[in-house]
Amino acid sequence: MAIIEVADVSKCFRMRPDRPRSFQDLAVNLFRKRPHFVRDELFWALRDVSFGVNAGETLGIIGANGSGKSTCLKLLTRIIEPTSGDIRVNGRVAALLELGTGFHPELTGRENVFLNGSVLGLHRRQMASRLNDIISFAELERFIDIPVKFYSSGMYVRLAFATAINVSADILLVDEVLAVGDQSFQEKCLEHINEMKSRGITIVLVTHSLDAVRSLCSRAIWLDDGVLRQDGLTDMVVARYLEHVHTKDEGEARLIREAERSASALEATQHPPPKTRGKSADQATSGSSSSPPQTPPRTEQGASVDPVARHKGRWGSREAEIRDVRFYDREGRERLLLATGEPMSVVISYIAHERIETPVFGLAIYRNDGLHIGGSNTFLAKCALAYIEGAGEVHYIVETLPLLEGTYYLTAAIHNTTDTRVYDYQEFAYRFRVHLGSVAERYGTIYIPAHWKHLPVVEDVAGDVAG
Amino acid sequence: MISKLRELYAYWELAENLVIRDLKVRYKNSVLGFLWSLLNPLLLMLVFTVVFTIMLPNLAIPKFPVFVLCALLPWNFFSTSVLGGTTSIVSNGHLIKKVYFPREILPIAMVLSNFVNLLLALPVLFALIVFFRVPLNVSLVYLPLIMIVQVAFTIGMALILATLDVFYRDTGVIMEVIMQAWFFLTPVFYPVSLLPEWKVVRGIALPIRRLTYILNPMASIIASYRSVLYGFTDGSPPAAPAWDFFSRTIVTSLLVLIIGYRFFTHFSHRFGEEI
Repeated sequence: MAIIEVADVSKCFRMRPDRPRSFQDLAVNLFRKRPHFVRDELFWALRDVSFGVNAGETLGIIGANGSGKSTCLKLLTRIIEPTSGDIRVNGRVAALLELGTGFHPELTGRENVFLNGSVLGLHRRQMASRLNDIISFAELERFIDIPVKFYSSGMYVRLAFATAINVSADILLVDEVLAVGDQSFQEKCLEHINEMKSRGITIVLVTHSLDAVRSLCSRAIWLDDGVLRQDGLTDMVVARYLEHVHTKDEGEARLIREAERSASALEATQHPPPKTRGKSADQATSGSSSSPPQTPPRTEQGASVDPVARHKGRWGSREAEIRDVRFYDREGRERLLLATGEPMSVVISYIAHERIETPVFGLAIYRNDGLHIGGSNTFLAKCALAYIEGAGEVHYIVETLPLLEGTYYLTAAIHNTTDTRVYDYQEFAYRFRVHLGSVAERYGTIYIPAHWKHLPVVEDVAGDVAG
Repeated sequence: MISKLRELYAYWELAENLVIRDLKVRYKNSVLGFLWSLLNPLLLMLVFTVVFTIMLPNLAIPKFPVFVLCALLPWNFFSTSVLGGTTSIVSNGHLIKKVYFPREILPIAMVLSNFVNLLLALPVLFALIVFFRVPLNVSLVYLPLIMIVQVAFTIGMALILATLDVFYRDTGVIMEVIMQAWFFLTPVFYPVSLLPEWKVVRGIALPIRRLTYILNPMASIIASYRSVLYGFTDGSPPAAPAWDFFSRTIVTSLLVLIIGYRFFTHFSHRFGEEI
């Protein structure tokens, strides 16, 4: 049986910049010549959304910021009403929208519990029978009779949560509140929500935490710009949502990347590399240092927030230059977003303005917080290059990408075998991102491709039977 | 409307709890909390008594403190309820935005908690009545009815103004000025009998006394209180309010209540997004 039914619900917010907000405005408007007429602006937060929730089901609502998730929840709680469409809720709703709503600082914890209960529509008797549960869940036995203004914020939140979950609602609406409290209390809350779930209470969860959705919800809906994009099993919906987010990210990143490339191409024509062919290397070095200092490549969007991006730099004598570094996935498509556990190739394309004997190509990978993950060079990997001249590519092939979800920076360099001479050194110059893909691991720094095996020891049992 | 009323009934305990909250908060912080709330009307009573019996002695109203206080207490109830009720929705915006409950609970609870204050102040009034030997009589049975009528009228006003305040945020400020004017236009510290029956203003004869009653329900309500608690300025004892006069007051008050409730519930579904 559907306990929540949402049928063709649309919600339109009318933004009226012109509407007088006070009698003063109203009076002023009377005496003003007809002002420039500003049209009402309509904002459709939800459009023709329909879904049902069955009793006992746990539904997750996911979507980007501004996709209409919270509007949806507010409609379910009846705080706002739909512009069109029908919402039917058959049961008592408890909303964990914001904890401690309606607590009065001057009242004691006990008094506030009763007040809060009646805000949620419960009677004093019903509340009284739950009081002990609430107090013990909140661990506030000693403080329940002092005004809540003396509570620490932790005590406050605990009491509020304990009250909210103990009103014995049929439906629990949760909006991002799982982010409050300390670790142990959060765990307790999750545990309790799980317990409510097993008692058959219907839960609707709105959150950005896909982990929470994955672990709590059997079903999910994905809202995108107010439109219901997908409704189904959590894993499927989350996967589709992630795919969408990543392709969007990838598209944006590619645009930035292309802009950057054309900018650096422009730069290259403005400051042509020293034509040092045939001249001595010393002259080349002095030539390059006398040229105007290289402006660092334009920072990518979002890169500026990463600590390592600030240390971006480039130096070297430039007889050979790294022109670009690209990342390719399993199918050989160029990507900026790669998946953990999948193959990845890093292609370094270079140009050597003169013949360089025994060059060494190297790279290093850093996490965006500066952690040096690893790296290698052609010399250490015993892939010795005799010489380079003109353009070419060096491939660095990773069979199984061990990086976990995150943003990474790559340093690429060309130098000689003894490291005494640096031709081109581009520190933190390239950025790529990794998402988890099909790998379920998400804790720690790297993914260790491994598998488990279980071998129960049966000797003891056999011995017992024999004895 | 019936289903709305049923819902209001289902949430009635919230109203009770809000009233209790208001009273507790008001009286919790000081032992003298209750006395403080009495101080204002008693002080005003004292001032009016000094002004009208010592400084302007020709009015010669007998038992002047009773005369003033039995009107001042209902007036204070009305004025604080209306002013508090006006801002009750906006000032509880955090609740409105987070939880659903019948929104009319908030202004109603505001009025009711002020009503409890009025009840708590009554013993002082009765002490004064006994001290001045006002010959109370059977007409006192009308007092509860008069109170109910006033509560109805006050709730109606609070509902209308609370709604306006959501959409026009300076309603509260404007009401403060209006309440002050209203106080002087209502026969609280002067007797109605002082008003002229007729007065010619710019060539138009206006029945001032009648107009006061017709246009100002508070004048009728205050006059009824005075009629049963004090009597009349000519020294005649308390009497039941004239029936035709009082039934008109009842009708007016109920109309204000119904219109206020309809007005409020017509707009209350938009409060969640307007606040």
